[in-house]
Amino acid sequence: MIPLPEIEPPLINASGILSYPEVFAAFESAGACLGGYVTKSVGPREKPGNENPVVVYPPEGAVLNSLALPTQSAEDWERDLEEIKLKNAKLIVSVYGGDSREFAGVTRRMSRFGDAIEVNLGCPNKEPGEQTIMESIGQNPALSAEVIERVRDETDKPVIAKLSPNSDYLAVADSCMSAGADALGCGNTLGPGLAVDIQSRAAILAGTTGGISGPALKPINLRMTYEAYARFGCPIVAYGGIETWEDAVEYILAGASVLGIGTAFMRKSTHEAAALTRDIWEGVQEYLGGEPMSALIGAAHRPADGGGSDA
Amino acid sequence: MRSVFKVVENRLESEWTHTIFFDEEIESRPGQFMMVWLPRLGEKPFTLSYPNAVTVKKAGAFTEKLAAVKPGDEIGLRGPLGQGYPPLKKPALIGGGVGIAELRLLALASEAPSFVLGGRTADEILFYEEFRELGPVHVATEDGALGHKGLVTELLPVEADSYAVCGPERMMAACLPKLPAERTYFAVERYMKCAVGLCGQCTCSGWRVCTDGPIFPATTVAQMDDFGKRRRSKSGKWEKV
Ligand SMILES: Cc1cc2nc3c(=O)[nH]c(=O)nc-3n(C[C@H](O)[C@H](O)[C@H](O)COP(=O)(O)OP(=O)(O)OC[C@H]3O[C@@H](n4cnc5c(N)ncnc54)[C@H](O)[C@@H]3O)c2cc1C
Ligand SMILES: Cc1cc2nc3c(=O)[nH]c(=O)nc-3n(C[C@H](O)[C@H](O)[C@H](O)COP(=O)(O)O)c2cc1C
Ligand code: FES
Repeated sequence: MIPLPEIEPPLINASGILSYPEVFAAFESAGACLGGYVTKSVGPREKPGNENPVVVYPPEGAVLNSLALPTQSAEDWERDLEEIKLKNAKLIVSVYGGDSREFAGVTRRMSRFGDAIEVNLGCPNKEPGEQTIMESIGQNPALSAEVIERVRDETDKPVIAKLSPNSDYLAVADSCMSAGADALGCGNTLGPGLAVDIQSRAAILAGTTGGISGPALKPINLRMTYEAYARFGCPIVAYGGIETWEDAVEYILAGASVLGIGTAFMRKSTHEAAALTRDIWEGVQEYLGGEPMSALIGAAHRPADGGGSDA
Repeated sequence: MRSVFKVVENRLESEWTHTIFFDEEIESRPGQFMMVWLPRLGEKPFTLSYPNAVTVKKAGAFTEKLAAVKPGDEIGLRGPLGQGYPPLKKPALIGGGVGIAELRLLALASEAPSFVLGGRTADEILFYEEFRELGPVHVATEDGALGHKGLVTELLPVEADSYAVCGPERMMAACLPKLPAERTYFAVERYMKCAVGLCGQCTCSGWRVCTDGPIFPATTVAQMDDFGKRRRSKSGKWEKV
């Protein structure tokens, strides 16, 4: 297995949040405490994604999005990433496709830019008439393995298989690990869910349904992190409702070694978002009290089942 | 806050421009924007021109539909969003096209404003009579029907303690070198998806216009290499401004 690059501090943005290299550079300049940045998922050919509204945030702490993977072509992404100006942070390129051949094609173009490749197996959003990646690949262990195998062939960088919580994710993870994945991403958005406006009597999102992120997702992806760590003991990049240092510590104790922040940046200016990342990391460090983080990864499993300790 | 409002009036301002009034006032800072939702048709950003209205220039499919709403119709509003203007002393408000309407609430909130307004023709100089009651108004029209014949930038510089510029991006880019950066603000426009800082769609050289802006100090705008040059389309692909 290829180890993940050293992401220091082990905080990153989540894919589809901030999305573009110039935004990453602005965050880095503003002093964001992010040791790495993940691109928007790069697809094989240009696609605008769903019409607006693409985001709705009912007050319950759930955010629904139905962006449906807008992307410029992989060639245009290449031109973009050639311009990237990150000083210290690592770059993770997220990739997707409609089948394993497309995943491989995108990975071939993106491999030289990324310090790691994250394979998006779990986006539950679609444009009208499309099948989602989650439905067509991410819920199917055999097809997921085929994708990982072909991605593996195209890159010598570590490969992160980002799972969907709406799947038999341990079965999918099992086949991804056997097919050559180096780490697991736990995980993508949940659902999808629905928001209805009672006055106009319409579904609010133009894509009708949207993947659920934010605090409502946390207990689900925390469980995924916990179970995946117990089963595989591999490096885990965790996503889902991380807003405070306490959330981050919970994920570390469950088994995460890298923490992704997405929805928590909602309505925050670059300076406010950068301050949030510093608060989270300072809180984690204070909690660690000088101990290395590695000592606490997966600690919630001990002593009863000792999951992952032999990895 | 309730998210769906009833239209109470659709007021024709000019051949291309309508002010859409709804049935409740919204508390905002001048310069903040609302995402206006037409159920089943789409959602786009607009600046309040009144506490209970937006002024819309017909420019494409969505604005054609918004300009066609009738009293009793429902529109959704999400916001106020983004950063508005700081309080400005004796500002010169420099507006082009529908950007003039976006300066209206700032004009009402400012002490001793003056105006520098531009448009293709007299019809495009929105709120002309109203603004004349608030302070001196300098006008440029491309056809010479009102004021100076030519571009609004040809009226610059003007004397003022501060400056706020809102209009087409190329016009704003032409104003940038003519105004004192430390006392000037620009209203930057980008295509928006989430409008709450998540998706990165609205980036202008890395600043997310929806949450870092849309109002930016000129000192920041001067650092935006993409300002006046390029923006990301819906897919993220670069296109020329
Ligand atoms: C913060 C903010 C406040 C705004 N306030 C107002 C307002 O008060 N009144 C108002 O009328 N409009 C306002 N706009 C613009 C408005 O949101 C629409 O984008 C615009 O009216 C065109 O909408 P459309 O869908 O009808 O046209 P579209 O079909 O999108 O396009 C019509 C024309 O607009 C051009 N265009 C496309 N994308 C962009 C872009 N990213 N930036 C600039 N031009 C583009 C196209 O080239 C085309 O010529 C604001 C935009 C922002 C970001
Ligand atoms: C607006 C938005 C866009 C997203 N786009 C992507 C994407 O392109 N690829 C992907 O793998 N995940 C995408 N996600 C999922 C996030 O990367 C993340 O897994 C999820 O939101 C959970 O984290 P959070 O609760 O911190 O947001 C997106 C999420 C949101 C809210
Ligand atoms: S529109 Fe999504 S970040 Fe501004």
